[in-house]
Amino acid sequence: MDIAIKMSGITMRFPGVLANDNIDFSVRRAEVHALVGENGAGKSTLMNILYGLYIPTAGEIEIWGQKKVFHSVPDAMRAGIGMVHQHFMLIPHLTIADNIVLGDEPCKGNRYLRAEAVKQIEAVCNKYDMHIDPTALVSSVSLGVRQRVEIVKALYRKAEIIILDEPTAVLTPQEIDDLGRVLQKLKAMGKTIIIITHKMREVMNFSDRVTVLRRGKIVDTVSTDETNADEITQMMVGRSVHLGGDRKAVGIGKSVLRVENLHYHNGRVQKIKDVSFDVNEGEVFGIAGIDNSGQKEISEAITGIIKADKGKIIFDGKNIAGWQTEKIRHAGIGFIPQDRQKSGLALGMSVRENMILGYQNLPEYKERGFLLKQEAIAKSAGDKIEQYDIRLSGPEAVAGTLSGGNQQKVVVAREIGHAMRMILADQPSRGVDIGAIELIHKALIDARNEGKAVLLISLELDEVMLLSDRIGVLHDGKLMGILDAKDATREQIGLMMAGGGVEHA
Amino acid sequence: MRNKLKGISIVSIMTPVVIIAATMLTTSALIMTTGANPLNAYYYLLTGVFSNIIDTINRTIPIAFTAFAVALGLKAGLFNIGLESQFLMGALAGAATGAFITGVPAIVHVPLCLLVGMLSGMLYALPAAAMFVGKGANLLVLQLLFNSIGTLICTYFIAGPFAGENPSVAATPRIQATAQLPNLITGPNKLSISILFVMFTAFALWFYLNKTTSGYQLRTVGDNADAARYAGINVKKYHFGVLLVGGALAGLAGALDVTGNFYRMYGNYSPGYGFDGIPIAMLVNGNPLGMVIGAVIFGALRVGSVSMQTKAGVPVEIVKVIQGVLIMLISAQHFIRFLVGKYIKKGERNGKT
Repeated sequence: MDIAIKMSGITMRFPGVLANDNIDFSVRRAEVHALVGENGAGKSTLMNILYGLYIPTAGEIEIWGQKKVFHSVPDAMRAGIGMVHQHFMLIPHLTIADNIVLGDEPCKGNRYLRAEAVKQIEAVCNKYDMHIDPTALVSSVSLGVRQRVEIVKALYRKAEIIILDEPTAVLTPQEIDDLGRVLQKLKAMGKTIIIITHKMREVMNFSDRVTVLRRGKIVDTVSTDETNADEITQMMVGRSVHLGGDRKAVGIGKSVLRVENLHYHNGRVQKIKDVSFDVNEGEVFGIAGIDNSGQKEISEAITGIIKADKGKIIFDGKNIAGWQTEKIRHAGIGFIPQDRQKSGLALGMSVRENMILGYQNLPEYKERGFLLKQEAIAKSAGDKIEQYDIRLSGPEAVAGTLSGGNQQKVVVAREIGHAMRMILADQPSRGVDIGAIELIHKALIDARNEGKAVLLISLELDEVMLLSDRIGVLHDGKLMGILDAKDATREQIGLMMAGGGVEHA
Repeated sequence: MRNKLKGISIVSIMTPVVIIAATMLTTSALIMTTGANPLNAYYYLLTGVFSNIIDTINRTIPIAFTAFAVALGLKAGLFNIGLESQFLMGALAGAATGAFITGVPAIVHVPLCLLVGMLSGMLYALPAAAMFVGKGANLLVLQLLFNSIGTLICTYFIAGPFAGENPSVAATPRIQATAQLPNLITGPNKLSISILFVMFTAFALWFYLNKTTSGYQLRTVGDNADAARYAGINVKKYHFGVLLVGGALAGLAGALDVTGNFYRMYGNYSPGYGFDGIPIAMLVNGNPLGMVIGAVIFGALRVGSVSMQTKAGVPVEIVKVIQGVLIMLISAQHFIRFLVGKYIKKGERNGKT
């Protein structure tokens, strides 16, 4: 059996961090090998070493049985290694062909032969059964196609080994299926593929073997058909994981938030179309829908960040439409925004300071009307760091230095900690690892068990179905219907998300 | 752990040292092309500073104030380059108030001059601030234009309505004795109480930014305006406020300079004080004590360069080169920090084996 890659004894030490600890990793020819682990487990570091971006502190790399030392990315490319990054490295204003050949153009003297480039790319595409139009501008094609462009870019450079970093993060379910077909085709043509991921669905569907990393060490390498998702998750986290929290039977109480006939438009686009729903005490009301169906606008209208055109937002009997954001927060609505880095945290400031963001004017954090109450702020931060198991060097750690999961925990701790009546969670587990998701789910369900109202917006249908008591389905700014979570099926919700099968429960 | 802390602090100390050393080397090369001896030039630069320490402090005062104003802007996420003309407006208004209002006691006249100077600086900052905050116009372009307009307005007033007794010199009349700031020292040179204003403002700035809720909100606006908006903080209010307070600080600096140092305003009054504050505030990341030290260094360069020119024959313009190189290296400070860190680590490793 051919061994494509053999990495032995790889150790990578960064100041204060041992990212890879004596790792032995090997990949066979023509297999799809999944490299899994939580954020910070060392997957990306290991692959960056293989791709020549980092030089390991210790260890050896063999490609096709030959010892190699990569000092730079071109070294790795010459050895037949290509990498498709999570954030695509493409220039939007150039055509697909120009992007693919960039840096390795077919030339005659100093003249760039564009037609020749297009011809060569078409040949590559035909060979691997991938359909892209090399003359289209990158900016005009979908993210799924851009990913395919990146793959062709690697193939054009004669890559035999292709590394894909979190390949499905930006893809729709349909595009993920397409990617699966592309990977099978590449495998059939003898290419070796490594995918870095933490999504179990992909590991099970795409890969032949799985290597699990935890805290910089190899846990094990197993054949995919001899294991299952739960087992892999357990290897990743080091213990069994229980998503969805512990639901207690609590009677659904009175309405906390009632949205009535909400309308909002941005430019010429009608973002919210006559949306009405209730969120009651002791329940999780989930909103499902594909991305950009009006979720962001609904959450921003409720929290006063944007002003709705029409409609009422009744919170505890008062119409809060038109209130200032701070007043709404002080009234008892905690808000976990969609994008923690963009809207949830001041990344250059300390975790201690971030823990009161949005609540800095509450009397408990303020003295004599204008001074920060330093001890109270430090105590509140310390308590929340402990309660949510946020891993950092101390409360003075700068928020931007935390891992994504821990950053999200800061936001969740702050918002749930200050939400007296209701929590509005917009994609609370986006881009965080399983350990953090487990904790966030538990926190949301605990809040529900205490009788708070929870409004959960998520693009992950599994998450909405797991956590909600009732589910509203959005399609293109319209609420297609509200279902009882006990009776709802995946297919039913999927249909409604696509705009069909309107049902009322 | 202790070793790690030590390593970090060595890097923190070495980075500015490397920056200053590299600046001096570059400047030396340039001085040599003028035919002068760099060591000689630096010698006269230093002796110029030490024989005129009070003059250096007087130069420091306006620079420190503009640095404070720039820092306040940076903390709120704005790059404030409009201070030059706001400083001039403060100086002009302070000089006019000091010269043309007569018959009031010093206890009224001095504060009045400072207040009018402050308000003028603030008022002159208002139109650009309003257009930027209200309509989203480009702040840098606005302030650049307002700087030119402000300089010319001052020239007009000095040559015209506010012209002094001697028509051959473009200057306002000397301010009344009642408008002159009291002095702390009178010989060999005079040092007015304006240095106390610097100390007070530095402390107030530190206190505001670190101890008050409003200062916290301002820093949040500067760090992530979107997150501040989500937290319910009025970003525009802070941007507007920072620009107006910046104008007030620059205006106060102008009025202090007139009433405490020169006693009149003349043509080409500012040698670029409004811009000196920018690299200083950026270099120390808005740390008030650091800005005072930075202002002293820049003040010293201005004073020392005069003796460097007269005694070593190196043009005073070399100071602009020094400042320019400094700014460039400061912009690259993260890279320099990285290089220094790497070098130190290498040294440690070699030392161990």
